[in-house]
Amino acid sequence: MGQLSLKNVVKTFGDFEVVKRISLDVQEGEFVVFVGPSGCGKSTLLRMIAGLEHTTAGDILIDGNRVNDLPPVKRGIAMVFQSYALYPHMSVYENIAFPLRVERAPEKEIREKVEAAAAILHLDSRLDQKPGNLSGGQRQRVAIGRAIVRQPEIFLFDEPLSNLDAALRADMRIELTRLHKQLSTTMIYVTHDQVEAMTMADRIVVLHDGHIAQVGAPLALYHKPENTFVAGFIGNPRMNFLPVTVQSASDEGITVEFQGQSLTVAVDVPADRRAALAGTQVSLGIRPEHISLGAGNAVIKITPTVVEHLGQQTIGYAKLPDLEDNFCFVLPGTQMIMDDQSVNVSFATSDCHIFDSDGQAFERQIDLSAMTVPAPVLSE
Amino acid sequence: MALNLFKSKETRAMIDRYSLIELIGIYLGIFLFLFFMLAPFIEGFLVSLKPLSQLFSTPYSFWPENGSFSAYVTMWESVPRFGRYIFNSLLISIVSTIIVLILVVPAAYAFARFQFKGMALVLGAFLAVSMFSGAVLLIPLFRLMRTLGLLNTYYAMIIPGAAFLIPAAIWLLRTYMMRIPIELNEAAYMDGASQFYTFRRVILPIARPGIMVVAIMTFIGAYAQQFIFALTFNSKTEFMPLPVGLFAYFGKQEVIWNELMAASFVGIAPAMVIIFFLQRYLVSGLTAGAVKQ
Repeated sequence: MGQLSLKNVVKTFGDFEVVKRISLDVQEGEFVVFVGPSGCGKSTLLRMIAGLEHTTAGDILIDGNRVNDLPPVKRGIAMVFQSYALYPHMSVYENIAFPLRVERAPEKEIREKVEAAAAILHLDSRLDQKPGNLSGGQRQRVAIGRAIVRQPEIFLFDEPLSNLDAALRADMRIELTRLHKQLSTTMIYVTHDQVEAMTMADRIVVLHDGHIAQVGAPLALYHKPENTFVAGFIGNPRMNFLPVTVQSASDEGITVEFQGQSLTVAVDVPADRRAALAGTQVSLGIRPEHISLGAGNAVIKITPTVVEHLGQQTIGYAKLPDLEDNFCFVLPGTQMIMDDQSVNVSFATSDCHIFDSDGQAFERQIDLSAMTVPAPVLSE
Repeated sequence: MALNLFKSKETRAMIDRYSLIELIGIYLGIFLFLFFMLAPFIEGFLVSLKPLSQLFSTPYSFWPENGSFSAYVTMWESVPRFGRYIFNSLLISIVSTIIVLILVVPAAYAFARFQFKGMALVLGAFLAVSMFSGAVLLIPLFRLMRTLGLLNTYYAMIIPGAAFLIPAAIWLLRTYMMRIPIELNEAAYMDGASQFYTFRRVILPIARPGIMVVAIMTFIGAYAQQFIFALTFNSKTEFMPLPVGLFAYFGKQEVIWNELMAASFVGIAPAMVIIFFLQRYLVSGLTAGAVKQ
């Protein structure tokens, strides 16, 4: 068991609404990641699920039971904190054993469970040490050990890796994915790091200003973002949004005029909106990694102001007329381009996204199952 | 070379390097400051070594001639209840400290962790109370003690003493406890621990160095302030703490200064021992590894 439902959950601090009517179903055994920029309400939402924050309105259900007023233990929830929150005066063994001691479990059971948890987390040789003598990664594992020893139905992780350095974070990411496979328990994970979200999640919940911007599998968010926020948030560097004018809309998609070129992007447009669309301004979204040198469906002559050579890829930034942000492009490998020298780049219309003036996407006519993992996101 | 007396120049951080002149200046300053602070104690100790006649000789000699520790022996006869006075002093201070700790530790935790109406007011009132010295309130306290029938008992010296030490102790310990990360409370709550369990198993052990500081401060405070309460609220010789006992004895006829000084030094010795003992628990860095700072 470990099925979680949020029904119109609201959290306000004074007059300020942090979480705005969020509804979400999390299936048993699922690994769900809440992702979003700072202040989007993701941590508050997690703390409400945990039982650390009072729920202003709405219902939180676990396995069909309303748990709004239950303490964390009765909810069957364990949480790993961003700051580890280890008990500094206790050994690793006692830290992991703490929830069992609270329950007054027999000594023999405590020993068995703590040793089992320590074995899973490779902490066997550290049991007698104090947290102060451990490295960041080991401390985080102790915090996880304290969570798993009680065998909760749902695990909550509040940015558990954000205090670790990059190399350790990659290792722990793999460990956590492995742990999820091993325990097959529902896990809810909060992060602002989209790489963690993309690599670990079964489903990602993108939060923006207290509401859900989109829920979906990682690649679905990447390939079919429903709005400009998700399109810009998922993917690094972020998607370029180019202002274009609609020429016509049909079954084939939307034809737009971009720098004198007529591009037809294959998206679904509801029949009743087609007539009104012609002549309006929309955003053409194209990811930096989908831009290549030379000829293509759409060609732009640009003069990069900055070029970053990373070896495995070359990233360029250019100023475009009527575009506030830099136009960014990522080319594979080491490309012989220099800053302040103009170059022709192009992209395929099949890689384009179209967003209406409200920032909502027209659904792309692509088959997600045919999509492969794009290289630049994973190679980060 | 003078600098070799200290850490060799090469191993010092640039910011800690001083020229010879600067070093001499620094140590001269330290010496002057320490001498100013310790001069009364030095003089007191030297007086305790001198024969009484030499104390009133002119010209006054600072260094004792044919000095001896005889005053340390004879004072036991001059002040027959000397041991009892030391015991009283320690008893009053220790019991005061224990009462203060029992009341202050949970109070400081409550002030550090819980938000409640009127908290700022109560904390402000504590500050205001500690601005009054006990002396200002002696008369009302005396009437109160008399009404309660506590005059001439240990209670009369312990209870007001403890009461005046509580506000400062709460402020001190509250500040310490506020530095314990709130995540530890939340983690314990997530693990199913009750407030009281968390307090006992998590907060108390971590706050131990802070509690020790409060214990030492309170003990010293109780030791120092007992004179005024004992002098006012107690007239029974067997309950007198050391300062009052000495005061009563040496005030009677002529003051035997060398024995008085010797008695003072012996009298504070047990207190010093206790403070040194408590100090061993003042380990810093107990929260290391609790949360990522």
